[in-house]
Amino acid sequence: MPRETNPKIISNGRRYMGNMAVAGVLYTAAVFGGAFAIRNEALPQWAAILAALAPLLPALLMLRAYAIFLNGIDEFQRRIQTDAMLIAAAVVGFGSFAYGFLEEWANFPHLPLIWVFPALIGIWGLAACVLRLRYK
Amino acid sequence: MRNRLKVLRAERNWSQADLADKLDVSRQSVNAIETGKYDPSLPLAFKIAAVFSLPIEQIFSADEVAQAAE
Repeated sequence: MPRETNPKIISNGRRYMGNMAVAGVLYTAAVFGGAFAIRNEALPQWAAILAALAPLLPALLMLRAYAIFLNGIDEFQRRIQTDAMLIAAAVVGFGSFAYGFLEEWANFPHLPLIWVFPALIGIWGLAACVLRLRYK
Repeated sequence: MRNRLKVLRAERNWSQADLADKLDVSRQSVNAIETGKYDPSLPLAFKIAAVFSLPIEQIFSADEVAQAAE
């Protein structure tokens, strides 16, 4: 199966990877910097709140990178992406809803909410790969 | 929906990548349309018709229409 040759699609993909790499480096720095500051310094509450919310900014940069990418792809590729997003939203939404009941009524161990977003991103990526293979 | 994209492309000796470049879409999109796994939007269908210089109904037909013609 030949690889993609459309220069517009290729440059859009490269721009996406570049934007995501920059946001990923900033995110890693914010997470490690914040964790280091909170564990090693006696931070006042306002500074702890700032450190805890700092990773959100690069995460928003990732969202911006994805929005730019989505605008640069064709309708069929966009369909794959939106289908994958719907699958991820359904799996994570219903999964966390069901687990919430299990926590409350069946004494399942408490899971922190921080895992919801990575689960959403992970399942979205997996669903996009599977859908892409389906249309190959 | 059925289409004659593969035949029309072969008549012109175009690869899927050639057609994708002309339509400004990905090669995978051309493949999905050709194999009937994805029905293009109306604007893309018109673009395809313009690239082949044919009326849209000579490229695309509804399943029932195509079955009736066979």
